[in-house]
Amino acid sequence: MTTAVGSFFLKHRRLLVIAVPMVWLLIFFLAPFLVVFKISFSEAAMARPPYLPLTSWEDGRLLITLNLGNYQFLLEDPLYLLSLISSVQIAAVSTIFALLIGYPMAWYIARSPSKRRNILLMLVILPFWTSFLLRVYAWIGILRSTGVINNTLLALGIIDEPLVMLQTNFAVYIGIVYTYLPFMILPLYANLSRLDPALLEAAADLGAKPATTFLTVILPMSLPGIIAGSMLVFIPAIGEFVIPALLGGPDTLMIGKILWTEFFNNRDWPVASAVAMVLLAIIVLPLVRFRRARG
Amino acid sequence: MKRSPLLSIMALIGFIFLYAPILSLVVYSFNESSLVTVWSGFSTKWYGELLRDPQILGAAWISLKVAVASATISLVLGTMASLALVRYGRFRFRELFSGMTTAPLVMPDVITGISLLLLFVTMEALFGWPAGRGLLTIIIAHTTFCMAYVAVVVETRLINVDRSVEEAAADLGAKPLRIFFDVTLPSIAPALVSGWLLAFTLSLDDLVIASFVAGPGSTTLPMLIFSKVRLGVSPDVNALATILIGLVAIGIAISAFVMTRNGRSSETDA
Amino acid sequence: MNERQSPSDMPWRNGSEPFVRIVDVSRSYGPVVAVNNVSLDIYKGELFCLLGSSGCGKTTLLRMLAGLETVSSGRIEIDGQDMAGISPWDRPTNIMFQSYALFPHMNVERNIAYGLYRDGVPRTEVTDRVADMIKLVQLSGLERRKPDQLSGGQRQRVALARSLIKRPKLLLLDEPLAALDKKLREETQFELVNIQEKLGVTFVVVTHDQEEAMTLATRIGVMRNGVIEQIAEPREIYEYPLNRFVADFIGSVNMFEGVVSETDPDRTLIRCEDADMTITVSHGVSCSPNQRLWFALRPEKPEISRHRPDGVDNVVEGVVEEIAYRGNLSIFRVRLKTGKQIDLTRTNQERSAEEPITWDDPVFVSWDAASGVVLTS
Repeated sequence: MTTAVGSFFLKHRRLLVIAVPMVWLLIFFLAPFLVVFKISFSEAAMARPPYLPLTSWEDGRLLITLNLGNYQFLLEDPLYLLSLISSVQIAAVSTIFALLIGYPMAWYIARSPSKRRNILLMLVILPFWTSFLLRVYAWIGILRSTGVINNTLLALGIIDEPLVMLQTNFAVYIGIVYTYLPFMILPLYANLSRLDPALLEAAADLGAKPATTFLTVILPMSLPGIIAGSMLVFIPAIGEFVIPALLGGPDTLMIGKILWTEFFNNRDWPVASAVAMVLLAIIVLPLVRFRRARG
Repeated sequence: MKRSPLLSIMALIGFIFLYAPILSLVVYSFNESSLVTVWSGFSTKWYGELLRDPQILGAAWISLKVAVASATISLVLGTMASLALVRYGRFRFRELFSGMTTAPLVMPDVITGISLLLLFVTMEALFGWPAGRGLLTIIIAHTTFCMAYVAVVVETRLINVDRSVEEAAADLGAKPLRIFFDVTLPSIAPALVSGWLLAFTLSLDDLVIASFVAGPGSTTLPMLIFSKVRLGVSPDVNALATILIGLVAIGIAISAFVMTRNGRSSETDA
Repeated sequence: MNERQSPSDMPWRNGSEPFVRIVDVSRSYGPVVAVNNVSLDIYKGELFCLLGSSGCGKTTLLRMLAGLETVSSGRIEIDGQDMAGISPWDRPTNIMFQSYALFPHMNVERNIAYGLYRDGVPRTEVTDRVADMIKLVQLSGLERRKPDQLSGGQRQRVALARSLIKRPKLLLLDEPLAALDKKLREETQFELVNIQEKLGVTFVVVTHDQEEAMTLATRIGVMRNGVIEQIAEPREIYEYPLNRFVADFIGSVNMFEGVVSETDPDRTLIRCEDADMTITVSHGVSCSPNQRLWFALRPEKPEISRHRPDGVDNVVEGVVEEIAYRGNLSIFRVRLKTGKQIDLTRTNQERSAEEPITWDDPVFVSWDAASGVVLTS
């Protein structure tokens, strides 16, 4: 390259490779949070956009109005606090179930002969490649009162009346576990597949029964994988919207749904922003833990 | 350590759990009844309806365009990011950079969605750009969160690249840019392909973020599906699902075939 | 191997200009000093070996010659040219990696041709030179194969060909034979020396295998902890090590510790308590009175006999404790009255000796004054 611009690029190659994605992320990832933060202090208004500006000129003076009312509103109305607690709780329970189901699967794949391993991994990943929305939708068809499960149970005479499974927290648990399962299995598998089988043989040789070996050797060594998988499920699950919207009921309180409702139904952007800030604050700690786990 | 039969059963149940819903989608797409889960006979009429529906076709086309654009741009940005993080050692703001590259992986969609929309609104008020929401804003939004996934995939592969082969190229007379194209790029090529595919799928599948940042006239396929299924089951959605599942299955079969063919060819001459 | 007879073959003996000058070179990584103020000269046409165990800095030194590591302090000159600030792709050196580092997505031909294309050599010339090189390293018929379709030995030859084809002024080899099995290694040693002598390229080989160094090298540089302990021809290193480390590292050695009791210009007496004897050595040593010294005796030098020999300067009594029969030679381990053990090797020249020496026999171990060397450190 002989042009001046060309040689500039070549010399500052490193700088560019760092700068381009960095600038993009600063503008489109970091700056938006600052905007949300700012608007969470504003007031809703019938305008486009539907909130009042924070700064205004009056008699040649710059006025900055910080409206803490949104946060106050969140604190006062028990709905929000309950939703937060409920979201964390639902996410936590779902994570535990995902772990309970995913761990044996990951272990099974890790212990399979290597040819079959790839096929099994593909089987785990395949659902992930099909639409998340459609897979959640599938559960509607399975759980509803005229759905697969109820039809089967009714036909077999096991029950007389259809079970109410849809529009419940139960359905939300199933939905989250189901859609996030591959995220739990893959990091677990990555960790377990690197476990040296000689260690297990050594434990057995030294007198440990299988259960003991699991508790004293396998479990501690797979801890990083457990943490990574759990974070990949727990953190996004707190803020889930689609699953509680489609599978949950009116009394399923999840913060993601609340945010959506505030924004789209109530057109209250400032309150929605405040909710977003609170949600962000909640996930910051697990987020940091996740980053540290990734090393 | 032998696998106990209990473990095998647990794993089997897990796999069944994973696939039963997908199976039900496919099965009921051929149900004649519009009640979807109440079987009334075999029919492919819903496929016909689906393919004649201009709304669905339009949304699919928009989603496709967005996905291709987002995947491609995020591939470039994500690869640059992982190069910087893996190869460039310590640089200023590295911690921040690393954090910004990982956080989108677990950030709830609603936060990403609302924050980007508010950014676009503010930017429009301040600079006049972007003018309204539409394809561009969705592409920007998708690129931003997809590049995190691309970075992770490429990073994993990049870390395992044999540095001594790059040193060999340098020793033989290749300058850094040449080394990148002759040695590094071919080495990470599989990660680039899977990174692109991953970004493509994630973009195609996104509902929440698109809902926030889309504008009138830029309804994506997931947004359309969501508005349909909020009201309950809908048989044309089953048909759509089956088509998509079929495409994914074919894609995976092709890639598996290609991979085994590559593996086999290097064994024949040995 | 590498037996050079005339002084013109051994430029380090006749005062010619060195081809490579490494002057006071150091390399540290933070607090860790990998190479510590090393100076050495390498002459044109040599096969110079850097010998040491892992972590001694030999590979770092090699990589600094290649330009793959920066020099913390000091100067490297190749053919009179200062290498400071010169990147690897501009240096007149080529390196052969321990792992071979072949380009996995290119076949044998393209791997070998790579460096020529970087030099801008026209295509027709490249094809010819690659064909010649393939014949030289005996890879004919394998041109189209990719690295993962080759055996370890074949890959090694591709790596060698790839570096040699550029006719570098200096060829650097990092443990070139380490990944090969024993038989292949021995054959390849011969081939390497042949190629080097035929092409006249200056080689610098890094290895941890002292037998390999002895076989290949025109001169050996023994390294420890980033420092060069001794540079000499193989024979000199073996017979006249400069210190205990070198004596111990190369081959096996019997080490006697003692105190100097007398020293003249051509004779030294060492009083050695742990063998309960006074050792006579036929050369002088510059040291202070009563200084602690060591006497190094190679196992093939002493004699073993049932009867006390006459007229030999050093004789000591002991009992045969162990015999290791190795086919062509036997290793005797003799335990002296003081408990110290001496190892001796004897070739089994006679098929069946009368009354061969066997376990628990009382024997005399003897050597003359010129058999070993005194070490002061």
